[in-house]
Amino acid sequence: MKISVNWLKEYIPVTHTVEEMADKISLTGIESSPVKLGEELTNLVVGHITSIAPHPDSDHLKVCQVDVGESEDIQIVCGAPNAAADQYVIVALHGAHLPNGVKIKRGKLRGQESNGMICGLDEVGVPAKYMPEEFENGIYVFDEPQKPGQAVYDLLGLKEQMIDIDITPNRADTLGMRGAAWEIGATYDEKPSFTKPELDDAKVTSDSDITADVEEKQLVPDYLLREINGVKVAKSPLWMQRRLWNQGIRPVNSVVDAANYTMIEYGQPIQAYDADKLAAKKLVVKLAHNGDKLHLADEDKVLDANDLIITAGDQILGLAGVQTSDVAAVDENTKNVILEAGVFNGASVRKAAQRHDLRGDDSNRFEKGVDNGIVTEALMRAAQLVDQDSDVASISETITGNFTKAEPTIIKGSISHINHLMGLHLATDEITKILDRLGFDVAVAGDDITVTIPTRRWDMAIEADLVEEVNRIYGYANLPNTLPAGMETKGGYSPKRELANKLRDILLGEGMDEVINFSLLSKQEVEDFNVIDSEYTKLLHPMTEDHEYLRNSLVPGLVRNVAYNQARKNDDLQIFEHARIFSRATGKERPDEITYLSGAVSGNVVADSWNTTAQPADFYYVKGIVEELLSFVNADAEFTFEATKDYKNMHPGQTAKILANGQVIGFVGKLHPNYQKAHNVSDTYVFELNVDLLFDLNKKNVKAQAAPKYPAISRDLAILVDKDVENGQIVNDIFANGGKYLKDVNIFDVYQGKNIAANHKSLGYHLVFLNPNDTLTDEEVEKSFTVVKDSLVKKFNVEIR
Amino acid sequence: MSLNDTLKNLRENGIDEAKRAERLQELNDLRVNLLGKKGPITKALRGMKDVPAEERPEIGTLANNVKKDIQAAIEEKMVELNEKLVAKKLEDETIDVTLPATKQVQGTKHILNQTIEDIEQFFIGLGYEVAGGYEVEEDHYNFERLNIPKDHPARDMQDTFYLSDELLMRTQTSAQEGRDMEAHDFTKGPLKMISPGVVYRRDDDDATHSHQFHQIEGLVVDKNISMADLKGTLDALCRHVFGPDREIRFRPSYFPFTEPSVEVDVSCFNCGGQGCRICKYTGWIEVLGAGLTHPNVLKMSGIDPNEYSGMAFGLGPERFAMLKYGVNDIRDFYLNDVRFLEQFKGVN
Repeated sequence: MKISVNWLKEYIPVTHTVEEMADKISLTGIESSPVKLGEELTNLVVGHITSIAPHPDSDHLKVCQVDVGESEDIQIVCGAPNAAADQYVIVALHGAHLPNGVKIKRGKLRGQESNGMICGLDEVGVPAKYMPEEFENGIYVFDEPQKPGQAVYDLLGLKEQMIDIDITPNRADTLGMRGAAWEIGATYDEKPSFTKPELDDAKVTSDSDITADVEEKQLVPDYLLREINGVKVAKSPLWMQRRLWNQGIRPVNSVVDAANYTMIEYGQPIQAYDADKLAAKKLVVKLAHNGDKLHLADEDKVLDANDLIITAGDQILGLAGVQTSDVAAVDENTKNVILEAGVFNGASVRKAAQRHDLRGDDSNRFEKGVDNGIVTEALMRAAQLVDQDSDVASISETITGNFTKAEPTIIKGSISHINHLMGLHLATDEITKILDRLGFDVAVAGDDITVTIPTRRWDMAIEADLVEEVNRIYGYANLPNTLPAGMETKGGYSPKRELANKLRDILLGEGMDEVINFSLLSKQEVEDFNVIDSEYTKLLHPMTEDHEYLRNSLVPGLVRNVAYNQARKNDDLQIFEHARIFSRATGKERPDEITYLSGAVSGNVVADSWNTTAQPADFYYVKGIVEELLSFVNADAEFTFEATKDYKNMHPGQTAKILANGQVIGFVGKLHPNYQKAHNVSDTYVFELNVDLLFDLNKKNVKAQAAPKYPAISRDLAILVDKDVENGQIVNDIFANGGKYLKDVNIFDVYQGKNIAANHKSLGYHLVFLNPNDTLTDEEVEKSFTVVKDSLVKKFNVEIR
Repeated sequence: MSLNDTLKNLRENGIDEAKRAERLQELNDLRVNLLGKKGPITKALRGMKDVPAEERPEIGTLANNVKKDIQAAIEEKMVELNEKLVAKKLEDETIDVTLPATKQVQGTKHILNQTIEDIEQFFIGLGYEVAGGYEVEEDHYNFERLNIPKDHPARDMQDTFYLSDELLMRTQTSAQEGRDMEAHDFTKGPLKMISPGVVYRRDDDDATHSHQFHQIEGLVVDKNISMADLKGTLDALCRHVFGPDREIRFRPSYFPFTEPSVEVDVSCFNCGGQGCRICKYTGWIEVLGAGLTHPNVLKMSGIDPNEYSGMAFGLGPERFAMLKYGVNDIRDFYLNDVRFLEQFKGVN
């Protein structure tokens, strides 16, 4: 809401610039910014059209002689259809500056001299949607004579200075000028003074045939009406109109404007109905029936049983607290008016406004709350304003549909506790003074204080609220900077996070970039990589098909990254992600969250350069990354790789499950060529590891061993074997038979093809023997080597070459 | 020619030859030829028997000197030739050092994780534990326990991804507060924790919104926690992250789970508070929200608000990183273009 400084001055003295005020209010209460309307405007004066004649060379232009307070009238050519003689209008003189950089210069229009421009309100800065409808397609015409030549700014509020306050939902008490005056007054230690509304006793009558009823009393604590008879609807005075349009409210007529003005003044929305348009004399607030229809905001809204409505007989007048329909709108022919001030349940109003997409000034206030203590007064104020401007015959007493007496809130607290929570040592009277500035009554008894909070501050309920009020008004800038002074604590990561950090560092060291992807995937993506065989977990109300399901694998995200990068010619990629996947067992509602570490490698792992040849990624490169990672887990476990064809989007001949002591902890392999093609990625190798399972593996107890003092002896072994026999089988067998001094087996050659029997392959192994305690002899080594060879021949039918 | 003269001639010629040598091999040959057992000096000394006995010591000394002198000349020349050889070798081995290196690439940690870990390290230094929490959370912890009852506006279906009536994708890492307070044994000292992680909101993704983003929640509960403690802690944090000359200020705000509640601004690190585009000419940049834990939140975790008080703060790593490095579009963090990612190598 924008707080007009001129309006504010009716309640408190204002001595600071809007900039200073906005700054200070932001720091002590509510985020505010200064607003200075029409700063650019110059040379705008009242003009009196003394005569008007048709333009000789134009159908629509008129040549006006205008008194602008100078010795002679000036001639202005004007195209507005509503321009007429004897009007008081806005004149932009030669040299005038208008909004959006428009400059007015004297000149000729179709041969006729024109010394300025007669303006519409929208041309001098009032948004078209907020100016009175009658001036929509023409110039603005003052209702009453004004002094020609005088500046128009104050008359029309064109250079109004305001403070735009952006409230948090708990401070809706400032959504009225009076509440705002309390808040700003407390900031500057100025108590606001208000005039109580009064009605002309002679016009007040207890005689009214209008009645009110509230069916949902818990949703409508207050529902008050006043009937006003013998009304002559007119235009409201200019001072009220300009305040309304500067509030973003279009002036309509003296009754509607009075209602709207009261809302801005008190923060209490007021409705006005034409009593003669009502289908019944009884207004009832009740819940709608499913399927009830109401025409609002140019739409037929279909209501449901949660919608609170105002009715008169069969007639639905509006959605309570949200919007009123036009069926009983007050217009220039209205004779009898009903003013309504109600308080409607915030949650109910909020949901209705959302349901029907009708959020507005009224619903904004009811959602956040209004002051139950001023409903009666606000209604009286609206009636007073109607009386002032609409020539009223009689005003009824308040007609009550429901009324709940508002009681002040009593908060008990202690000076020492308040100080303690602030980290300050303020004297008792310093605290009580601050509370007094806010208009709270304070009673002190030793360390105890009892604070009586007026109903306008319904956000205040507990001692902590007092702490906030005292601290903010005292000034957060005056707080010292301290650190919690309690017992020392040891900070740090959880052991699981430590492990993950270590593994991430390994991957960074391997040259892989870390990525972060979305947890929510498309249906296709969760189906693509349901390697963990989980139930899918779907959002109840997803925003897009791309983000509907909780991810069950990190691979789809990585593939997205590879595709995104390769589409941008970042062809060589090594990326990894450390994040959670969601695994849900059948019948369970809540998925388990499992930490995974996954990576993807695509393109070359060594780039083509002047001194290196390109080396494309392959299975073994990524397997090497995985093995290095696993070696850093420090697990007392045997890690093995087992060929698998189980995963539909992985290459069936180049994928392995990774096992720890026989338990699957992840996989590594190449994406299926079809999948790669579908996702526009080149050959891509991925791995996925379950970090939670790695964490659960027993820790290895490393016992130091001195570096060997005796030399090792090696033997090379070349064999020809059926191509389906895996290296892993051979190596296991070599170790099983190599004796206790066999330390290492390295494969140095794999060959298939020319000069090798069909369906066979040639393998070369390098065996290293070492006795840590003595010099090995050739005989000992030869003995073991023979056992190894014999076993291979026997088990795998190999040919020793 | 007397033996004396022969030896002198040999010396003269030997030294001369050594000086004229151009290759090491020539010098080696010279040494073998002149000074070897079959060389002219040895041969000349065979004529010693014709020399009178009294002259022999003199001739002997001369012969030794001749050998020494030739030896010295050869060695001197050898040093000189060796130096030349080394110089030639170095010359031949000279390379173009401006040619590109053989790549030794380390990966780059994601800038959001760098930002998070920098903040984690700061708080670990102050004795805070880093807690994980759940990304799928119960309505109870995400809202109810944070003093956000059923009909509170913050719980609108359009803001939250629900999985069922009671389960949702957590909308804030504050959801961890209730769990940590429950689990903490206050007889062992204060609760000091930060909880970084991913949160989710039902937002359309655009330059400033993402349906998934990160938060770091901080919570301290002890017997004497005050607004001044909160201010001191966050002041130190902002200096750590944004530079030692930074200041912070508190502005009143509202969160259901803190009272008082504040927004925290840091003095603009770009202009130092003078006013610039980054701080929208205010000199201050809003960086986080904080407050004292609402007494209801303490009570719901079985903590007596008359005895204990708490402070809580929540900050957004995306916002920190966007401010600190001038990232204009939050989506850049999640597109993972490696050219974007790799520019942040080693910034933290």
